[in-house]
Parts: sequence; structure tokens; C-alpha cells
Amino acid sequence: MHIPDGFLSAPVWITLDAAAVPTVGYLARRAQRGFEQTQAPLLGVMGAFVFAAQMINFPVGAGTTGHLLGGALLAMTLGPVSASIVMTAILAIQALVFQDGGVLALGANIVNMALVGVLAGYLPFSLWGATRWRRFALFAGGALSVLVSAVLALSELLISGVPMSGRMVGISVGVFLISAVLEGAITLAVLESLERIQPMLVRRPAGRPSRVLGALAVAAVLLASVGVLFASEAPDAIQRLTHQTITEASGWPVKSLTGLAGIALIYGACLLLARVAARNRSV
Amino acid sequence: MHHDVLERWSQGNSPLHRRDPRAKVAALLVFLPALATAHRALAFTAGGMLMLLAGAFIWARLPLARALARSALVLPFAIVFALITWAAGDAGRAISLVVKSYLSALAVLLVVSTTPLPVLLRGLELTGTPQFVLLVAQFLYRYLFVIGGEAQQMSRAAAARGASARKLMARSTPFRAAAGALAVLFARSYARAEHIHRAMLARGFQGHFQTLKNLRFRRSDAAFALLASLIPLAVRIAMEKAIPWAR
Repeated sequence: MHIPDGFLSAPVWITLDAAAVPTVGYLARRAQRGFEQTQAPLLGVMGAFVFAAQMINFPVGAGTTGHLLGGALLAMTLGPVSASIVMTAILAIQALVFQDGGVLALGANIVNMALVGVLAGYLPFSLWGATRWRRFALFAGGALSVLVSAVLALSELLISGVPMSGRMVGISVGVFLISAVLEGAITLAVLESLERIQPMLVRRPAGRPSRVLGALAVAAVLLASVGVLFASEAPDAIQRLTHQTITEASGWPVKSLTGLAGIALIYGACLLLARVAARNRSV
Repeated sequence: MHHDVLERWSQGNSPLHRRDPRAKVAALLVFLPALATAHRALAFTAGGMLMLLAGAFIWARLPLARALARSALVLPFAIVFALITWAAGDAGRAISLVVKSYLSALAVLLVVSTTPLPVLLRGLELTGTPQFVLLVAQFLYRYLFVIGGEAQQMSRAAAARGASARKLMARSTPFRAAAGALAVLFARSYARAEHIHRAMLARGFQGHFQTLKNLRFRRSDAAFALLASLIPLAVRIAMEKAIPWAR
């Protein structure tokens, strides 16, 4: 789902562009530093592969076909940093040459698909890729990458004020779930075939982290993305604090400053909790 | 997948083709927000901007009708959302979604059909976009058609061996066959990337692409960038001031 220009409100696309630019810059430096020089041609050709892969149709049943979207597949073969760069390049070419996705909305599309989507696709793989649940991890990676990107795009549209009835949102989420399962199945099938012909091309994560941690991480990703849709209408803690401390009449600098202060407070509290938890475990 | 149209259009020779890519990108980056944030008198602003873009296409000696048709690629997505918005009872926003996404696509098309992509990417590089991303995008665009042709060839070969005779095989076979084809394509692309890199090193590749022309930002480019960003803004402001009765 590539968001065209004109769909997002100014605060949304400005924020996401501002988030995407430094992140892509940082990832580009890391991808360039981490590997030898062969990296640029390799990433470019693999981007072309993702384009070409859309020509090979997968029969789904009932006469319909689907195709690979590729974010998770790239993350599991090239690693998440390189996959993000490839997806960014794909989105840029699509926006410029194929009029698929807007130029102002490029930041939003990069955040949805190249950054968060790739990370969400790599998460199950890095957690369970080396355990006996490997097949499940491959499937879940493909499914999560699509689900998270699509839901993010939907919530950005909703935040921008594209009106949608509750039923419409329900139908869209249903469509997203179907395409997520499809992408998971395709990712799994392609990676298993690839392992049979060229086992070196698929990565093998080393770690063997605890199940609780993994489940928590996946739950957090799901909550953070899907939760936006079901966010309660009632004011949250920061909003409440804002209402108590300042009046409606104060200007936007005061409001945004109090908002930032609230976020900083919560961040500090989380940091403190994490420190305490880590100390308890190391003893 | 034939996008040689853009290749041909961008090789043209007109005042617009000769402008520095940075000037065109700067103008685009003023035009798009000016359009995206227009709310009052949108029909008139959009009409004025459509005239401007159409005039620019004619000035660049490009086929206007085909450009208008090509930008319609954005419409299916926009119309689906416009219908949803319409159903939710916001007809004004539905129209604005279609109009804005179409005009934005047309503006982007104007820039890419008057600037060859390597020159455009070089211009972006000079304005500070991470070089590595642009290098990847450059390779991607160059090998798009090669790998795409290979994919087509593979599916034709599969069809020639009877892959379309669905009735003869188990239900899961076509799915697994497609997965196998993609795996082969992946492995081949990977190997091809290594060959490409070795061949480029042998020909003296230093880690970045060279363009034949050295880009120079002349005074005429500065004047163009200034005018091309001011005129759409002026159109928008004039429409909003002149037509107070429009929403």
C-alpha cells in the first residue's frame, strides 16, 4: 500500500519525512561500513529482483493470485540494515518512475515498509530462526512485515482525517490479515526452496533468547501498531496532565513543551524500571 | 513492463530539459506542499496548477495527452479511497484526494520526463542525499529490466513445460513451483550481482557513477527555480484571495 501525495495531512507527512531522513542516512552509513564494496551492486540487483518477483504470480485459489512483497525475505537473506536500504531504494524508484506512492509521502512509505516493516519482519526470525520453530519464524516474519506496514499506513490515513467508518476499518484489517498470511506463506515457501539450492544465502541467527522475551517483543510490536487503531478515546496520562497544568488559551509552544516533558518523564520512568530489572537479574 | 517512454522523453531537448536537476527538484518541493496544503477554493487552485503543468509539458515538447494518461496510474488507489470517503459523507474531501494525488503525480512526471534518471540522482547526490542509497537506486534501475526479462523468460519456460495444465497436478503444486522459480531467480540475481561487480571493478569502477556532463548550477537555473516556485504559490494565493465565496 503506497500512499500517494495529497492523502496525508501536513503534520503527518512532515513528521514522517523528518523521521525517515536521518534514519536512512544512519542506516546507509552502517550498511556501507559493515560490508565490502560489493554491497552496492548486490543491493541494487536484489532490489530489481523484488520488482521482478512481482511478475511471478502465486495461485491462491478461487482464481486469484498474489505476489511477493519482499521486505521480510530481504531481511532474512541480506540482514535488516541492508534490507531497509533496498526497500528505500525501491520506494524511491517507484515514487519517481512508476508514479506509485507520493514524493512528499515518501517518508511515510519508507517508515511503514522499509524501516518498521523490515524490522517487524526480521524480529521473529532473529528470535526463533535458530530454534525448532524456524518454519514458524519464517512465516511469521513475512506475515508481520505486511500486517505492521499496512496497519501503520491505515492509521496514518486515519490520523490525517480520511474519514472511515468502523466497518470499513474492520474490512481493511481483514484484507490486511489475508495478505499477511499470503506473504508469510510465500516467504516461507521461497526461503525453503532457496535453502535447498543455495543454503548459504539464508542467514542463521546465532542467539537463542528466552521464549518470554520473544513473546513480549512480538506482543509489543503488535500492540504498538494495531493498538493505534483501537486507542481509547479517553485522554491518556499525558493529555490529562496537560489539561491540568495549562489552559486551552496557552499557545502551541507551551502545549508542545508540556507534551515533550510528559514523554520525557515516562521515558525516564521506563529507563529506571529497566535498570532495576537488569540489576535484579544480574545478582 | 516497458518504461522506455520515460527514457525517450527525458532525452529530449528543450529549455526545461536543459535546466539543472537541482533547480527542478527545488521547484517540485515547493509545488507539492503548496498543492497538498491548499484547502480554500481548491477547484480554482487545482485548475490553475493543471494549466501551469500542461503549459510546462508543451514547453518541454512532450506529448501532453499521453502524459495526462500516464499520471492516471495513481487514480485506482485514489478513487478507492475517494469512494470510501464519499461513503462516509465527505464528498469535498473525496474530490480533493483525487485531484491532489493526480496533480502531484503529474508534477513528479514532469520532472522525471525532463531529466534522465542518472542526472536526477546525481543532482540529488549533490544536494546531500546519502550517496549509498542513490547508488543502490541507480543499480536497481539499471538492472530492473534485465532481472524482469529473466523472470518473464522463466515463467514462459515453465508454461512451455506444461505449468498451466493445472488439472494434471496436485493443488499445491503450482504454488510450490512458483516458490521454486522465485528461489532460482533469487540465487541467479545474487550470482549476477557478483559478476557485475567484478566486471565493473575490471573496468575501473571507483564506487560511484560518473555522468558525462558535469552539472553546473548557472544563473538561469537559479532564475528558473525561483520563478517555478513562485508562480504556483502566486496562483494559489491569487485564487484564494480572488474567490472569497469559495469554501
